[in-house]
Amino acid sequence: MRHYFELVWYKAYADLRTEAARAYLGMLWWVLEPLLYMVVFYMVFGHLLQRGGPGFVSFLLCGLIVWRWFSNSITRGATAISSNAGLISQVYLPKYLLPPMILVANTLKFLVVFLLLLAYLIIVGSSLHWSWIALPILLATQLLLITACASLLAVFTPFFPDLKMLIDNGLTLLLFMSGVFYDISSFPEQIQFYFRLNPMAMLIEGYRAVLLKGIWPDWAALGTTVLVSLFAICAAVLLLIRYDRIYPKVVVT
Amino acid sequence: MNGLVHRAEPVLRLQDVGVSYQRRIGLFKRGRFWALRNVSFSLYHGESLGIIGRNGAGKSTLLKILAGIINPDRGQIQRASLRAALLSLRIGFVPYLTGRENAILSAMLMGIHRRQIEQAMDEVFAFAELEEFIDQPLYTYSAGMRARLGFAVAFQSDPDILLIDEVLGVGDADFKQKSTELMRKKILSDKTVVIVSHSTSLIHNLCDRVVWIDRGESKREGATDEILALYSAQNPVTRPEKDAARKWHVI
Repeated sequence: MRHYFELVWYKAYADLRTEAARAYLGMLWWVLEPLLYMVVFYMVFGHLLQRGGPGFVSFLLCGLIVWRWFSNSITRGATAISSNAGLISQVYLPKYLLPPMILVANTLKFLVVFLLLLAYLIIVGSSLHWSWIALPILLATQLLLITACASLLAVFTPFFPDLKMLIDNGLTLLLFMSGVFYDISSFPEQIQFYFRLNPMAMLIEGYRAVLLKGIWPDWAALGTTVLVSLFAICAAVLLLIRYDRIYPKVVVT
Repeated sequence: MNGLVHRAEPVLRLQDVGVSYQRRIGLFKRGRFWALRNVSFSLYHGESLGIIGRNGAGKSTLLKILAGIINPDRGQIQRASLRAALLSLRIGFVPYLTGRENAILSAMLMGIHRRQIEQAMDEVFAFAELEEFIDQPLYTYSAGMRARLGFAVAFQSDPDILLIDEVLGVGDADFKQKSTELMRKKILSDKTVVIVSHSTSLIHNLCDRVVWIDRGESKREGATDEILALYSAQNPVTRPEKDAARKWHVI
């Protein structure tokens, strides 16, 4: 068991090292790339569509950064098994290790950007709130949610490779439904209810509450997300164990 | 059947094992292809078992079954709680990592503990004759150097049952001789080994017993000389060339 733990870490480390070595600017891209991504959205929503206003940048950054963590992890995590086709057809590896290998690397990269967000918020003068101590809970909840979604999708994509197309478009749809660019609480009550069924919308609201408004997140909603995610993770692990020795036959090397 | 003297319980026993792959043949149509149909044999502790058969007979699929990478679709496998693993060279190698990092990752993927491979690191690189390149990225290595490192790392993995696919030694002439010699020693020792090959001479030199696989079925099992004689009678020497030609066609 401990061996597998170490293996996941080392593989994540190796992936990060590889990524950094691949470009001239290396690790700088971990910051530059999200920055470029955010500039694009800032230009579109802040300037072109005139959605701006005071505090819009902080508002947008809070949403975009955590959304990016979610969306990148899902896209890469969903293909965790097929992208390791060569590996799993040569050695036996428990397949439930594959999604975590990707998620750990992705999460470390996200944390760098997230720390920069915190630094930015302090610099632009949103004072430190006591509510910031709730951040680890929000992060942990989101990590569980990401693990659940990515692992469940990873179970099925080897059997239905076409899922990949659906996932990409589904994520785009979800991006616009998660309140990254607008405040859900500005909507009529009935519509708000449906938006809050989306755990990412709820989490993004939570981050904003904690970081920008200095109030606590919606604990009940967080608790529900944690429970559902844990349940989904268990289901995914059981399925990955069940198909453990089927995947090497299904994936194309 | 068992050509050699009495032996205790087999460490591995296959009974009527079949493996099928699903293939797409149309937009919504799928076909089933049986790579192995009906394979039965036993593997005993400490022996070197050869598996001979033409290209496409199902040897590689059989190795995956033995290594526990895939499960059969029918038939039964009984195995003692032993670890069987394929000798896989350069598994998980990444060009951007250093030789040392690649050795660690590769070894860990093969089930070696991190501390264990770190302790053996000097030995690995000394054997591969790559000491001065240990902290250089792998993309600076030549093909021969990569092969040497791959062999040196793979050799560290010491499963209870060693499964070998065809190739024993790798690298340039000198290293090939050195690595082949090492493998030969390991195979001839008390280790339980399964070697898959279509070369009668390789199997003749190294194996105690042989199983002959033909079109996914185990045809005969017995003492090396006896089975190889039968195999050669049916598969004249020109065969490998024909196989090579056929392989090209499929690709």
